Amino acid sequence: MTWFGSLSFPFMQHALMGVLFAGIAFPLIGVFIISLNLIPLRFAMMHVALLGGALGLFLRVDPMVAGLLLCALSALALGPVSEKTKIGLGTISGYFMTLTLALSFILFYKGKINVIQAFSILWGNIFALTAWDLVAVGGVSLFVLCIIFLFFKEIQAILYDREIALAVGIPEKALYYLIVFMLGLTIAVSMRMIGALLVDAFVLLPAMAAGMIARSLKQSFILSSLFGLVSGVSGLYVSFRFDMPASSTIILAASLIVAVCMIFGRGFSHA
Amino acid sequence: MHHSIELYDIHVKLGDAWVLSGVSVEAKPDEFVALVGANGTGKTTLLKVANGMLRPSKGMVKMLGRELWHAANGNNGVRKEVGFVPQRSASRHFPMRVDEAVLMGRYGKIGLLRKPSRDDRDIAQEALEVVGMQRLAAKLIHELSGGEQQKVALARALAQEPSILLLDEPTTYLDADSQSDIMETIYRLHRQRGLTTLLVTHDSYWVEQYSNKVYLLKDGKSQLIRQNT
Repeated sequence: MTWFGSLSFPFMQHALMGVLFAGIAFPLIGVFIISLNLIPLRFAMMHVALLGGALGLFLRVDPMVAGLLLCALSALALGPVSEKTKIGLGTISGYFMTLTLALSFILFYKGKINVIQAFSILWGNIFALTAWDLVAVGGVSLFVLCIIFLFFKEIQAILYDREIALAVGIPEKALYYLIVFMLGLTIAVSMRMIGALLVDAFVLLPAMAAGMIARSLKQSFILSSLFGLVSGVSGLYVSFRFDMPASSTIILAASLIVAVCMIFGRGFSHA
Repeated sequence: MHHSIELYDIHVKLGDAWVLSGVSVEAKPDEFVALVGANGTGKTTLLKVANGMLRPSKGMVKMLGRELWHAANGNNGVRKEVGFVPQRSASRHFPMRVDEAVLMGRYGKIGLLRKPSRDDRDIAQEALEVVGMQRLAAKLIHELSGGEQQKVALARALAQEPSILLLDEPTTYLDADSQSDIMETIYRLHRQRGLTTLLVTHDSYWVEQYSNKVYLLKDGKSQLIRQNT
């Protein structure tokens, strides 16, 4: 069967639409992660999403909905909790990470969830996206794009230097929490598509590549979306053509783009 | 406008420690006031209190004739109107042009959901010219030297059209020539624009050279150690 012929199947249409939405919007979150050094937070969110998925399987509700809700709540809480307790976001993320992992394993054990189901959370399945999954991916993507479009100048200042953004009179804290919130939502829906372990394919790698060659934040955003889109669609194609797991081929495509930018770029722009 | 700095009996607790425990500093309109003291005595903390970035545990903060944190005042929009030059510029790589970095000074005044106008861009352009950096407008900020980056930080503060300037060790990590250059620029602007200036520094030469008044911060308290009549 040809690539175009395969697109007559709903599962392929859903997969393609999923990578189009996620490929465009999710790498933008990667730009935030790199610029604001939110790596520990992203790692914690991946584990929170895992706990949400485990909770979903345990309670027999949609794992993505459970993951989305738990990530949204955690993302809303993390910033203010870190602020109130004066514990850094990195440290508190470490706390969340280990706690959620421990709780996930208890749920897997007590819910007698089999290994395949548990691993489906870790690996995701882009060919199993339902119409509701697409609504969630599309909704989060649209939300991220709208926030960046509406608050571009404030976001630019915050990514440059949070202290300076605060000093010139920008509501820095509220917007920073909004960024953390978007990160939580993105990780949760990425988990369903590509799995908790490979979230970086959509979120981080395209942004890394863009950061190596961009000369402005606008370019960083545009290039990371472009790279996300190219790696998503080409990864999906290779997966279909050579019968390989889509998560892995998308990661490989994104990694290849990073390697090319590393060779031809000027090094990290955000590091 | 009453562009004075009035900080009375300021107490600030960070974690379990009292960083400031009864600091009072005053700068009248057009004065150039220096704040000196050893590292860790709370000089930067005091500047953040003055700028409305940090709420003191106790004490009164009055900037531009307006009392901050009183009743429902909050920080009273002071951050938009007070120029603040932090100790170090963002030296990490970030893809931002010099003219964009200066325009950032207008963002608070422009407000949310609005784009910079022609006027905003003109004001930022003029600020860049005032510090003699217009030729580097299209350069990326991390391609500049430390001294040039500090001038951009000063231009960004000027783009706010402030009547008060808060400077946190603006010459740290700069070579001698760049130090003179940046301090002479600051003093010229202070004179030309009548900017009330509060300078945190370790350098006694600039303190002697320019300041009307000098406060020493020690053990969480302030002491007026020199006042020109």
